[in-house]
Amino acid sequence: MDNQGHGHGQNPSMGIVGNGPQLPYGSNPYQASHITGSPGMVVASPGTIQSTGQPAATQLGQHQLAYQQQQQQLQQRLQAFWANQYQEIKKVTDFKNHSLPLARIKKIMKADEDVRMISAEAPVIFARACEMFILELTLRSWNHTEENKRRTLQKNDIAAAITRTDIFDFLVDIVPREDLKDEVLASMPRGTVPVTGPAEALPYCYIPPQHAQQVGAAGVMMGNKPVMDPYAQQSHPYNMAPQMWPQLLPPPPPEQQQSSPDQ
Amino acid sequence: MEDESHNNTLPNGFNTGSPESPFLKTSTTTTQHNKEQDRFLPIANVGRIMKKVIPPNGKISKDAKETVQECVSEFISFVTGEASDKCQREKRKTINGDDVIWAITTLGFEDYVEPLKTYLQKYKEIEGEKLSIPKQMRSEQRLQQHHNNYHDQNNQPFNGAYASSNLISQPPYVPTDQKFSLTFSPNSIQSQLRQQDQIDSVGHWYE
Repeated sequence: MDNQGHGHGQNPSMGIVGNGPQLPYGSNPYQASHITGSPGMVVASPGTIQSTGQPAATQLGQHQLAYQQQQQQLQQRLQAFWANQYQEIKKVTDFKNHSLPLARIKKIMKADEDVRMISAEAPVIFARACEMFILELTLRSWNHTEENKRRTLQKNDIAAAITRTDIFDFLVDIVPREDLKDEVLASMPRGTVPVTGPAEALPYCYIPPQHAQQVGAAGVMMGNKPVMDPYAQQSHPYNMAPQMWPQLLPPPPPEQQQSSPDQ
Repeated sequence: MEDESHNNTLPNGFNTGSPESPFLKTSTTTTQHNKEQDRFLPIANVGRIMKKVIPPNGKISKDAKETVQECVSEFISFVTGEASDKCQREKRKTINGDDVIWAITTLGFEDYVEPLKTYLQKYKEIEGEKLSIPKQMRSEQRLQQHHNNYHDQNNQPFNGAYASSNLISQPPYVPTDQKFSLTFSPNSIQSQLRQQDQIDSVGHWYE
């Protein structure tokens, strides 16, 4: 709880500072996360890291392209979806058959003690709004399912969609930490996730060695070698944090706080 | 991964696969269990809607459906809270459709707004028509009467035809009789009589 509060406090400034640079940079972590999904070897020496730099570059390039295509596909689907919604609503003539039960919607609305009276039209509007909400959330979640070459929509796909979509921020607490952390690590450089994420992940050994290796390679490619080497030797989570610090020009205090949990 | 996620949801008692599991494990009463069910929209409805936007060969895990169930309830509470605050500021007691749409706009769901405005407008138009139900009932009664009249008119022409048939049958009979005596055998006369009997019975049937 306190950690979350701390992270939340930092979010705004990080978002502001890194808003521009984050966008182009953000694609790398996704690709790293994607690459992590495949099995790999743990690299022990810095020399080996350098030698794998080139293959990693090629892989990153390919995955980056695939990711961009995936995102474009999602945008196209969303546009088609909203156009279709508008057309469908124009055709609606019957307000008796709802895809969702109005009585249940009313009960959920009434759960708020401040809510006194509800007009008959409110649950009707909510029924339609909820349908659109479910459709959008599912569409964005399915995009993540396809990214991972699966055909079954899972909870972690929904967690990913929630993390990547601003208007779904109010849902973050609903998704279990386990499903969120994978996405947290991938999206951290965007500055929208608490810095304490990696520290929390460490105890569970949540980051596969392959992931650390790829992140290290990414660091080398981006010319952060002097900064990366010592951190790479120390721990896996730090492979993520250092990438963000140089980008955001962080103040000393947060860095110190970051290092203390590791000790 | 998936099993791990499933295990992590056990402590909650809400997200386990079977609806009975949370009841058994948390030792809640039937009333409380039903109350928990009421906190979410039916999983069947949610699942059906989700399937609309995934490919035909795609599948949805039960965990995913349950997660979306929770997300939708959170969405309703989130929007309702915003709408309720607005009503309180304006010292109104009733949350209406416009308040819901305003809250959705405020909370950043811009894409939802135009479709919902159209939807609400249509709803009001149709509800406006429904308010004049007595008129509709009268119209329906008139329609029924008109239908009955049409039915009666349908009957009369047939009766007329029958009467006409009766009239026609007599004159031809006399000359036919003569013709029969002149040109046809008694068997032909009997067949003619049978035909007349058939006409009578048919006419009676329609009456």
